[in-house]
Amino acid sequence: MKIEIADNKGLKVIALSGDIDMHSSPELRKELMFLVQKKVTPLFVDFRGVSYIDSSGIATFVEGLKGMMTYGGKLKFVGIPERIMEIFCFAKLDKVFEIYGTMNDACNR
Amino acid sequence: MAEEPKVTVPEGYMRNIEKKVDDLKLLIEVSTLLSSTLELDELMPLVMEKAKNVMDAEACSILFYNRETDKLEFEVAMCGEDSASEILKKTVTLDMGQGIAGWVAENRQPLIIDDVRKDNRFFQDADKITGFTTRGIIAVPLIGRSGLIGVAEVINPGKKDFDPEIFQLLCRQFAIAIENARYHKESIQRERLRQQLEIAASLQKSFLPESPVLKKGKATVSALNISASRVGGDIYDFIEPVDGTLGILIGDVSGKGISAALYMAKFISDFRHVSLQIDRPDLTLNKLNALASRAPMGMFLTAIYGILDLAKGNLLLSVAGHPPFIRISRGEATVTTVPSGPPLGIVPTEYPVTPIPLEIGDRLLFLTDGVFDAKNRGGERIGFEKIADFTREHLQDAQLVQGIVDYVEDFSKGTERADDLTLVELRWGT
Repeated sequence: MKIEIADNKGLKVIALSGDIDMHSSPELRKELMFLVQKKVTPLFVDFRGVSYIDSSGIATFVEGLKGMMTYGGKLKFVGIPERIMEIFCFAKLDKVFEIYGTMNDACNR
Repeated sequence: MAEEPKVTVPEGYMRNIEKKVDDLKLLIEVSTLLSSTLELDELMPLVMEKAKNVMDAEACSILFYNRETDKLEFEVAMCGEDSASEILKKTVTLDMGQGIAGWVAENRQPLIIDDVRKDNRFFQDADKITGFTTRGIIAVPLIGRSGLIGVAEVINPGKKDFDPEIFQLLCRQFAIAIENARYHKESIQRERLRQQLEIAASLQKSFLPESPVLKKGKATVSALNISASRVGGDIYDFIEPVDGTLGILIGDVSGKGISAALYMAKFISDFRHVSLQIDRPDLTLNKLNALASRAPMGMFLTAIYGILDLAKGNLLLSVAGHPPFIRISRGEATVTTVPSGPPLGIVPTEYPVTPIPLEIGDRLLFLTDGVFDAKNRGGERIGFEKIADFTREHLQDAQLVQGIVDYVEDFSKGTERADDLTLVELRWGT
């Protein structure tokens, strides 16, 4: 998994690629919780390069979301590939996370 | 008899040879001493005492390099009072490059300094703490097979004609002995951990139903559970929440290993307590959701909980973010999705409930994602559809569940199992 954190016109974006699994999610957790501790909001996660996410990866985002909810922060997922979207849908995670097709959609809502 | 020819050897040469022999004796002696123990606590005083004697020094110390903090920490110091050594261990750390030891560690080179007052690299705080006066110092990096271990320091050496090469050789032996002792300590710790894991694994198995098969009235439930590591995060249970009913649970805790196993143990105990006297699976899941939300690090659990009315064959199902199940009815296998809530432990919610009237001969196959997420050597995942197809082709197999497991294992042959795998089958009336 590769993590890139970028400022997109002043907005924080975590761009991920590869597999997010129990081996890579501790690194993601470190980066995500660092931003959550800084009370960053909104925080965008770009999923376009992600090939797979397992439950430990999802748990990392659940922890991030719970942390952000304490200060009213918004965690927005962008560009989730179809196969991963299927997992999100059957696990009803689409009711938990804010999911958008593009950065423009995510910024405007 | 002919007289043996006389050979005249220069005196200096003889002295040199004698010194080399003494040095070799010392090396053999030290080597024997160092191989006498693998216990780090016993080894360190031996190493220190030997270094002190060889160099006729007033004090000596060894600092270990901490890779995580990138600092040097006093491991042992022999400078008169034992309490001074303890104070140094607790209070003094050196950055790489700081002081004589820090310089030696950073540059991986030894230093011989006759008068530390003339060397601005000298770090005076250790003397201030111990009350010791350092005049001269020899510091050598301890480098093992895995890189820098630390720095050995000999303070105020009385012996002036020592061979720096021999001292470095001794330090090389110290480094290897320390490294071996560390490996030994780590292997003991690993073995202890392995034993603890074995206990945890058998304890975890004891949380699952005693028998993987249960017959009650016209219903037969059976389960097959294989963990990816010694302990797993998949769960299943068969209970009787209310008289005349059969409760069937399958679940999958996020993550793997010890944390998932502990969470699973807590969940199953909550489930057995909460589910009693409740004849609606949605109400049980609502309560479990509130309890699960206290889990740390975003941990959650997907689950299906069904309560079967054994008299009527009516199954009430509630789903918390769990994958679909396969329904086999009238000779057809269908991937079935019912209204679901999110996994347990994420957000407050009310779970839906779906009635599923069973007909004689119906079979329901519940599974966890370890079944259809299994990867082959090429990194391709098996997928839910292939499991459904296999089921369709083997509907008549009496050992269908085992057949699916064999199919998954065959698909992922040559790869390490990445996830726990659980299948629960409910048969009605056969």
